Amino acid sequence: MPPAAPSPSRAEIVADLRRHLVRMEGMPADGEDGLSFGLSALDARLPQGGLAFGAVHEIAPANEADLPSAFGFLLALLARMPERSPLLLVLSSKKLARFGRPHGHGIAGLGLDPARLILVETADETEALWATEEAVRARGPAAVAAALGGRLDLKASQRLLHAARDARLPLLLLRPGGESVPTATTRWRIAAAPGTRDRFGMLSGWRWQATLQRCRNGRPGEWMLEFDHATHRFGLAAAVAGASLAGGGATQALGRAG
Amino acid sequence: MHRWLAAEQRKPSGAPVDPRAPFVLTDGSDAPRITALNPAAQASGLAVGETLADARARIGALQVRLAEPAADTKALTRLAQWATRYTPSVALFREESGTDGFFLDATGATHLQGGEDKLLANLARRLHAFGLPARLALAETAGTAWAVSHFARDRAIVPAGTEAETLTRLPVEGLRLLPETTLTLRRLGLKRIGDLIGKPRAPFAARFETELLLRLDRALGIAPEPLALLTPPPVYIATRSLLEPIDSEDAIIAVATRLMQDLVPRLEADGAGTRSLRLSLYRVDGAVQRLNVGCTLPTQSPDHVARLIRLKLERLARHLEAGFGFETLSLAVTVAEPMKPRQHTLATASEEAERAQRCTVLLDALRQRLGPQSVHHLAPVASHWPERSETLTVTPHEATWPPAHSACPRPPLLLPRAEPAEVMALMPDGPPLRLRWRGRLHAVRHAQGPERIAAEWWRTARDAPTRDYYLVEDEAGRRLWLYREGIPGRETAAARWFVHGMFA
Repeated sequence: MPPAAPSPSRAEIVADLRRHLVRMEGMPADGEDGLSFGLSALDARLPQGGLAFGAVHEIAPANEADLPSAFGFLLALLARMPERSPLLLVLSSKKLARFGRPHGHGIAGLGLDPARLILVETADETEALWATEEAVRARGPAAVAAALGGRLDLKASQRLLHAARDARLPLLLLRPGGESVPTATTRWRIAAAPGTRDRFGMLSGWRWQATLQRCRNGRPGEWMLEFDHATHRFGLAAAVAGASLAGGGATQALGRAG
Repeated sequence: MHRWLAAEQRKPSGAPVDPRAPFVLTDGSDAPRITALNPAAQASGLAVGETLADARARIGALQVRLAEPAADTKALTRLAQWATRYTPSVALFREESGTDGFFLDATGATHLQGGEDKLLANLARRLHAFGLPARLALAETAGTAWAVSHFARDRAIVPAGTEAETLTRLPVEGLRLLPETTLTLRRLGLKRIGDLIGKPRAPFAARFETELLLRLDRALGIAPEPLALLTPPPVYIATRSLLEPIDSEDAIIAVATRLMQDLVPRLEADGAGTRSLRLSLYRVDGAVQRLNVGCTLPTQSPDHVARLIRLKLERLARHLEAGFGFETLSLAVTVAEPMKPRQHTLATASEEAERAQRCTVLLDALRQRLGPQSVHHLAPVASHWPERSETLTVTPHEATWPPAHSACPRPPLLLPRAEPAEVMALMPDGPPLRLRWRGRLHAVRHAQGPERIAAEWWRTARDAPTRDYYLVEDEAGRRLWLYREGIPGRETAAARWFVHGMFA
């Protein structure tokens, strides 16, 4: 028996099992849309070629002081939603409020037209959960994002997942305290990093150290993400910062996947 | 000097008043005077305006309570709100009418009760059930109705056109005049209203305030009498009285849906939709509960309205008291706006329009449950001053946002109030080197700026000093928006620094 023969069949089996698992877990199937980063290095890691529609994605700051960066990452992702469809943002977190209120001109600076944004501010976490689920189920906004501060138990997070799956739109949850969402399909941890400079020494883009800690049917990883001011596009930091990080990320990813 | 008050305190004020014995209300002055009395007190010869000391001297045992005009007005307003179940146009008596009753404009509303006499009978029966003795009169003018109810028989209906005839026999007090005017009229021997009707006007106009002829004209229907209505009458209103009182949420919503269905043909005929609705729930015991429901866009859909009412009820569950149930419900359109005719064909309905429609429905729902202020959009304002450069709007606005400039960056998170920071700079007008903010020290790795922002020319430099904004990045890569207030050496001696926002 040639040694190469079993490996394709094993790959087939694994692929087959993956497909079954997808169906059993109720995960979005292949061919479903995804919110692409426009970066092959990242999109290749994600099963839908981006953040899957009909799923919950969690974004948390690495540290409380990184919250503005995590919020910026969230807005930059929302800006990538196609067409001029409305987007809804639920804000209830006191921690985020400590860093200020959304500012339209700054949001425009992240490439997101503030006119698309509907802001919903609630007094407590229960109302925020209700508003988030209602917004997802209404299928009015093209995407829903929520900054939820309180504890999110399994039942509440399952409700959100079911709502997102039924409505087939992405639900992005910003967790200012860093507590995890049990049903999240992807979990991102964002930390601020010194920005990129142009040849005049001016800041030409933000940089975030983005860690994909968990990803169903995908591979976790760690990247130094850049966000360009002028083009409003994601990019990967040049080899200067990348070499060690990318390597470290890959090994870490393998370790976790195994 | 407050002996009577002290006596009042010795006797617990909660002791019930015997309605058959003389009972008076007094004002709270040092020499209290009687402001109101019951029939028994009237029978024993007391009158409004007499001092309490005199009254006590005349009749030994007198029940006294302090008058509470504010509470009286409140109670009267509550009662008037209850009376809106008969007609939406209800006006409280004002000063000249005695502040102890209200007018109902029953025009076009009497048939709902089965006629004028049935309306009065129904009103009398219910008021009696509340334990309120009342005198009712129905006439073409408010003045005549008032005079008849106060000085003629109770529950009288004055046929249209017979006002002058009816008023002739009544005393001049029936015109709601000032006491001095009445006194002068009586001294002149003009005791009945009939003495004034048909007389030459010039002598009266010369000798009396305009009040006299105005009131006479109003009572006779020659001059219109403006009434200060409790709530402006809505254009569209539907009311249903129920055989059995209801108290469950589902029943309320079912009735409200039917009320909205009653309104739809009239709205459709006018090409209008409702932007704002008021649901009034009339409780069996006379209390009225009101729900206000607002919509982003005009609507005619009973289902949509029902859903909004359900959300509102859920929100108000704690404040809504059903008691023994609600016997009458009325739904009024308080704001109606023209509505574009709906497309009934499927072919033309685009996906985007449908999405926008779903968004509107969602926003309405969120507003009912979370409160109208909780959902908003951002709109740009033409101002460079960061605090004034945007505003919150209820409806999506049309204005387009100016394109972002990388030369003057703006943070996505702006602090509602700039927070002072301790900053070290090499030169007074130089960029910051180190800053302490919220108890934390940041070493500045990169500072970009300054971007000088001055307030509009019509604001003085003292109120709003010029600001020099810097984008500052610390060693961990966290980016702050920082400004120095005042130009050092020109506007201020020692510049102060503030943190104003966070960059991503």
